[in-house]
Amino acid sequence: MVHKVLSEQGAGSITTTAIRIRESGIERRARFRGLAEPLSLLVALAVLIGVFSLLNERFLTTSNIQNVLTQSAIPLIVAVGATLVILLGSIDLSVEGVMGATGMTWILLSNNSRGGADLGPWAWVIALGVALLLGIASGLIFTALKVPSFIVTLGMWYVGLGIATMLYGTDLLPRLQDEGLKGWTSRISFGLPNSFWVALLVIGLGILVLRSTRIGRVTLAIGNSETIVRSAGLPAFPVKVAVFAIAAVLSGLGGILATVQLDIGSPTVGSGVLFIVIPAVVIGGTHLAGGKGGILRTVLGVFLLTILNNGLILSGVESSYQSAVTGAILVAAIVFAAWSQRDRLRVAK
Amino acid sequence: MSNLTTTPAVLHLNNVSKSFGSNRAVRGVSLSIQPGEVIGLIGENGAGKSTLLKILSGNYRHDEGTIAVNGREVQFRGPADALRAGIGVVHQEQSLFTNLTIAENIEVNTPIGRGGVNRLGLYNWRRLYADAAQALDLIGSHLNPKTRVSDLSFVDRQMVEIARAIRVSAASHTTPLVILDEPTAILERTETAILEREISKLRDIGSVIFVSHRLDEVMRICDRVVVMRDGELIADRTVDDVTEEELFRLMVGRETHAAVRSRRSIDPANSPVISIHDLTRAGSYADVSIDAYPGRVLAILGTSGSGRESVARAIFGAEGFDSGSVSIAGYSGRQLTIKKAVALGVGYVPAERKTEGMVGEMPADQNITLTHPGSAALGPFELPRRRLSLARAWFEKLDIRPREPGHTLQDFSGGNQQKVVLAKWLNSSHLKALVLDHPLRGLDPGAAETVNAQIRSVCDEGTAIILIPDTIDEALDIADDIVVMRDGRISGVFDLGHDNPATLDLLERML
Repeated sequence: MVHKVLSEQGAGSITTTAIRIRESGIERRARFRGLAEPLSLLVALAVLIGVFSLLNERFLTTSNIQNVLTQSAIPLIVAVGATLVILLGSIDLSVEGVMGATGMTWILLSNNSRGGADLGPWAWVIALGVALLLGIASGLIFTALKVPSFIVTLGMWYVGLGIATMLYGTDLLPRLQDEGLKGWTSRISFGLPNSFWVALLVIGLGILVLRSTRIGRVTLAIGNSETIVRSAGLPAFPVKVAVFAIAAVLSGLGGILATVQLDIGSPTVGSGVLFIVIPAVVIGGTHLAGGKGGILRTVLGVFLLTILNNGLILSGVESSYQSAVTGAILVAAIVFAAWSQRDRLRVAK
Repeated sequence: MSNLTTTPAVLHLNNVSKSFGSNRAVRGVSLSIQPGEVIGLIGENGAGKSTLLKILSGNYRHDEGTIAVNGREVQFRGPADALRAGIGVVHQEQSLFTNLTIAENIEVNTPIGRGGVNRLGLYNWRRLYADAAQALDLIGSHLNPKTRVSDLSFVDRQMVEIARAIRVSAASHTTPLVILDEPTAILERTETAILEREISKLRDIGSVIFVSHRLDEVMRICDRVVVMRDGELIADRTVDDVTEEELFRLMVGRETHAAVRSRRSIDPANSPVISIHDLTRAGSYADVSIDAYPGRVLAILGTSGSGRESVARAIFGAEGFDSGSVSIAGYSGRQLTIKKAVALGVGYVPAERKTEGMVGEMPADQNITLTHPGSAALGPFELPRRRLSLARAWFEKLDIRPREPGHTLQDFSGGNQQKVVLAKWLNSSHLKALVLDHPLRGLDPGAAETVNAQIRSVCDEGTAIILIPDTIDEALDIADDIVVMRDGRISGVFDLGHDNPATLDLLERML
């Protein structure tokens, strides 16, 4: 043994065995971890569906499933953007404000009960442009002025609400007149609600951006360490602004769909969405510190929360209790989801 | 080496200087490196090594002098320029994205439209994996490029960093110059051997600047050693005509205190301060029994899988154990917590000084009184003036420099930070034992020596010391007892009062 260590040959063989053992261990661990996390989410989802279908036979009917899918479509679209922002290690709280401003802009430029201009497709472009501007503004203030995203987007939420309220003015409710658009979101094509098809498209694009584009990869890198990103000469600044812009446009799209669904323009069209989106991202397993997570996990998180809401209503939980019950379950779910990340001697701040 | 004169130097520095305000961090450094050469760069902390490296990596711009790479003069405007010129720096603090795969980390600087990134900025994963595998292959590593970096050990991460460093220059067909900034500072013995092998492979494809604090390593790995002191390059020697002692003297500016500790065997009349018995933690270590006596340094040796760090943390209550017992000063309980251990008079200097050992944003004096306020406290209050004078006394006693206890701790150098961390525990009125987890990690030899001297004097005052050393030499230098662990079990116990184990005896029990 001693001589083996001494001679060149011996040292070589010891180290190569050590390397090989370590390499196989690495792969085993990685494979296990890759499966374990989404699996526990799927199990939770299955349990939830099982419990609710036992409590109420209406839960697993086609019409209720389509109902759940319609309900989940808008949170899904918004959550794709929120996931990207959270992967940066930032947060976007402006969701509901951007939804309000975009939705209101859109309906006032479309065929509505107040009359005015009907710009058709241009209404979409201009409304989403408003969302884009709000997103770029958040992104620039966040990156150039180095204000925490939490504060910037909290402000931008109210800026968005303010824009929506100003547009709303004191006139009558703007009601959607276009018969083709009324109820479009929940109408079924090829077995699924239209709005859910839009959500699927957004999810697909989101996954493509995150997995296979520079923006997506640098987003993950920034979430890990912005210092390293800068010292590697990667474009941290533009990517951060772009991610906030993408998130805002997706919120805006959600705002337009929500307006279509509601039939009328309202500044508070996005009310309650933030409360589903952020927890869904976290329950999905995306780290609030950034760098780890993904869009498919968020999708599972949104389903979990939407089904929870839908199931509670169907199971006859009194509406006065409902928000308390949802809140409590949410906290429990987050504690459960974050359990594996606990570490001794590591303080949560 | 016959082509020394015909090919241009990979790197040629001529009279390079850099100042920060009035502080001239690098003064007139001239240096030339030939292809295939491995240069050792040594110097104490603050000698200007890091500034010089940051100039080479494009993070700083030099004020004076010229830099030529492969015979052409260059001006780096940023890290990307240096990379493109073929200079890859493997930093002391790791600069890998731990949440991404090996392949992505290696290919991170691939410009759009080249390699695995098409003109639309879309990634071709198969191509990225193949290119990364090729870069790894060049340095003889067979890591799977799809593995996430967070799953890698430290030495494997170094491999990935080296692969990334040579990847850019391989793409632009220039001879790479790889700068390794203290790559072995926190590696275990076997891992160092692996790294040394890789460095010798690098010799075939490019040149290497190897920055290290371990003089024996520098002597073994390098062809030539350059020494920096006070911003100047004061010596440039081939390893054949210089000795370790000479290098130390050049670097520190004084002779080594090769004071060998006079050792006695364990006094049978003494009883141990800390006694652990058959301690077991599934998957980490088993049946570990260790006794630590007052006034003795007990070193635990082992490789990274030996479980010795876990044992040390268990003694301090920072990690649980499944069975066995830990008794401290007569107290023996099932559930040992950090709070209990501290109350019993145990101190712990963690390996992760910056994150676990100190509060960098706090002034040094507040760090000292953090755990044991001592005379600075009046009931629940702390009196700032008393705290400051208490801290001044410790600064004097431990020779902590600069003598500014009011400065935030992160502004001090590593060795002085470590002394403040020590003072935090020494300020206890009832300190009985100190657990030191890699106390010299990342310290330059001069600082390491003064920290070691303090550890010795603390020990001589009757404190029991349990030490997890970085190297075997460190253990032989300071310990009275040596316990060797292999794969979670004790494989050897030596009382240096009457045993005299050779380095190889110890190494054999570790591997």
